[in-house]
Amino acid sequence: MDRILQTYREHAGVWDEMFASEGIRTTYKKFVSAIEDLPPEEMTRKDELAKKLFMSQGVTFTVYSSGEGIEKIFPFDVIPRIIGSEEWLLIEAGLKQRLKALNIFLKDIYHRQFILNDGIMPAQLVYSCPNFLREMVNVDVPFDIYTHISGVDLIRDADGSFYVLEDNLRTPSGVSYMLENRSITYRIFPDILPRNNVRSVKEYPDLLYKNLLALANRQISNPTVVLLSPGIYNSAYFEHTTLARLMGIELVEGRDLIVDNNFVYTKTTQGLQQVDVIYRRVDDEFIDPLVFRPDSILGVSGLYWAYRKGNVAIVNAMGNGVADDKAIYTYVPEMIRYYLNEEPILKNVPTYRLSDPDSKAHVFEHIEKMVIKRTNESGGYGMLMGNSATQEEIDNYKAAVNAAPRNFIAQPIISLSSTPCYLNGLLQPRRVDLRPFALYGPDGIDIVPGGLTRVALKEGSMVVNSSQGGGSKDTWVLSG
Amino acid sequence: MLSRVADTIFWLGRYMERTSGMLQAIFTQYISSQDDPEENTWRPLLKIYGELTDPEIEAIENHSPKALDYMILNRSNQASAFNTITFSRENARGIQDHITKEVWQCLNDYYHLIRADHLHYELFYGDPVAPIDMLIKHGLLFTGTVDNTMTRGEGFNFIHIGKLIERAIHTTDVTRIKMNEIALRRHEGFEGAKLRYLLYSLFGFEVYLKIYKGNFTKRHTLDLILYNTDFPHSLLYSLERLFRYFTRLKNDSLPENFERLEYLIGKTMNHIKYSKVDESNSAELDLYLSQTRIDLFEISSTFGKHYFGNT
Repeated sequence: MDRILQTYREHAGVWDEMFASEGIRTTYKKFVSAIEDLPPEEMTRKDELAKKLFMSQGVTFTVYSSGEGIEKIFPFDVIPRIIGSEEWLLIEAGLKQRLKALNIFLKDIYHRQFILNDGIMPAQLVYSCPNFLREMVNVDVPFDIYTHISGVDLIRDADGSFYVLEDNLRTPSGVSYMLENRSITYRIFPDILPRNNVRSVKEYPDLLYKNLLALANRQISNPTVVLLSPGIYNSAYFEHTTLARLMGIELVEGRDLIVDNNFVYTKTTQGLQQVDVIYRRVDDEFIDPLVFRPDSILGVSGLYWAYRKGNVAIVNAMGNGVADDKAIYTYVPEMIRYYLNEEPILKNVPTYRLSDPDSKAHVFEHIEKMVIKRTNESGGYGMLMGNSATQEEIDNYKAAVNAAPRNFIAQPIISLSSTPCYLNGLLQPRRVDLRPFALYGPDGIDIVPGGLTRVALKEGSMVVNSSQGGGSKDTWVLSG
Repeated sequence: MLSRVADTIFWLGRYMERTSGMLQAIFTQYISSQDDPEENTWRPLLKIYGELTDPEIEAIENHSPKALDYMILNRSNQASAFNTITFSRENARGIQDHITKEVWQCLNDYYHLIRADHLHYELFYGDPVAPIDMLIKHGLLFTGTVDNTMTRGEGFNFIHIGKLIERAIHTTDVTRIKMNEIALRRHEGFEGAKLRYLLYSLFGFEVYLKIYKGNFTKRHTLDLILYNTDFPHSLLYSLERLFRYFTRLKNDSLPENFERLEYLIGKTMNHIKYSKVDESNSAELDLYLSQTRIDLFEISSTFGKHYFGNT
């Protein structure tokens, strides 16, 4: 490992998670000292063992090519990303504050709309958002909670401070990888986790289940909670099965449910059984073909009205997309000030709304320093990195922006922090982000100490999404 | 339990048992084809475990590596072991919350094993017994993992019901094939050899030796395969076990559904138990086995209708 460390070269002008100018950061010292005596071939063996474990445990996704499915694992880097306790407290406080404000925003925007009436946010921005669901207006949700499960993407800039890149408030995925990555780390680095006082992440399913149970409306001792999945061909299906198993709840598909007289039932070998809570992993537009997309076969006819009448709870609430829209995102600091009368703890990445002509002109002038994103896309799709795009791509993008400026925002290209990754027998710096997972229940917000660190495995890339060549790392939060 | 889950887990049991039975039959045929020139044709098995036309079968029936590759690894052959294991895994993926992590991982390992490149190489150029044996053992590992890790709930019952229906069908099919072969070609020693291979195909050779001390007769073979309630591949054993697992579903069933299936399983079980088939009358034997097969398919489809919501 010593030799590996010696060959490691950080990127200039980039915050490195493991190394500071004066040497190894305090949070990493114990980990490095535990593995520094390992021969390089042992690290390679650990890397191979991790791959084998993922494959044998079926932590895979299927790529269909030439009509045949090929099993692939989500790339995992064996070197953990470590966050100190003080830094975590800041992240935790910042996320709680942000989610509280976003949740109030959703309640407000679907009811009295004080934020629009008081001129804090332009009404046009909200009403032009494709994810603003008019069907949710004046719908009361249990405990006024909309954002039961969220995964907020954080990045760290060259100065070491965290920024919020985007809020995922609809059906954020990745939590099963947080859990699996930890279980793989147990195997490849025996005893190192307890010696480093790493906080556990395994409480996540218990907390989630407790919150789901609390939403049931029926006065019975064992309400029925189900996880609604689009099915085995969904790329996150592994996560759906993992969560259902860890919570001990039924994993259902749309065809397993039926709505009768505004109550939802599962079709079982013993006939119909009423469902109280649905943790859905099906997007809003597919959830009820009678109200949203009529061609959807993933949802359940009549589900919307059962929800509206309060006969079933749905998690996350419908219509959350309006709060994680990238144009609305620019107003989150204002929301925090408006609803909570507090200053935001976590900063937003500076963002230009291209519906504003001056901002658009500024962005077009400095396009080589900008990343332009579509407001309603995620997964790293539909964005333009100004520093690596061809002139033709830029021209096409400009034309698309001019045609519908509301649908685009721009941000200066942030130099994401990097962390050492063990790749091809060498320790090499790669860019990372962090997606902590938050659970909002009647008793408050819980942030699981950890999260998914996504890593851009391609050299020079800053796109961490798994769909675009990204991988992941185990994320350790140290206890104080 | 969700009807879809019950259906999926039932078919998981069927596919895994089909794989196991098929591999054992192929294994036996390979050994017999090397042992006995008269057995050196894969035609009967290619007809059951494949979708080839007669000219296509003719092209490979005497070429063991090609025939083995087709029945075990061919991806376009829906009946190949490759596909039955893939279907099993596909089913298991859809019900992971109803099987244990150990069962899922065992099946997932099986899936990766059947896709391994070295299998094709060994079947074609090496010792074909080794990969077939490895696959058979993995099937046994799956059975043991199910028995040792799954709770005795509905899922466990349905996986066994599927397994036992498939096993009974397999026993019926293999017995019919071999008995028809015996009926067609009679010469000294031929019948004994065929009966041995039949017993090998149903994992019954050693049991037979212990009970009947090496005297191979049709009567004894049929007694073992049809009526012996200690032999796990006999028809009666399969039906009695099936009935036992089914009875455990009583409290989780709607009464009218339970009664319908109880009647059908009981009828089939008694048909086997109380009919004494004449081993020297091949037409009668064939009719008896054909009727049993029809009854087993009716049980399967009635489960589909009354428990799995299939219309």
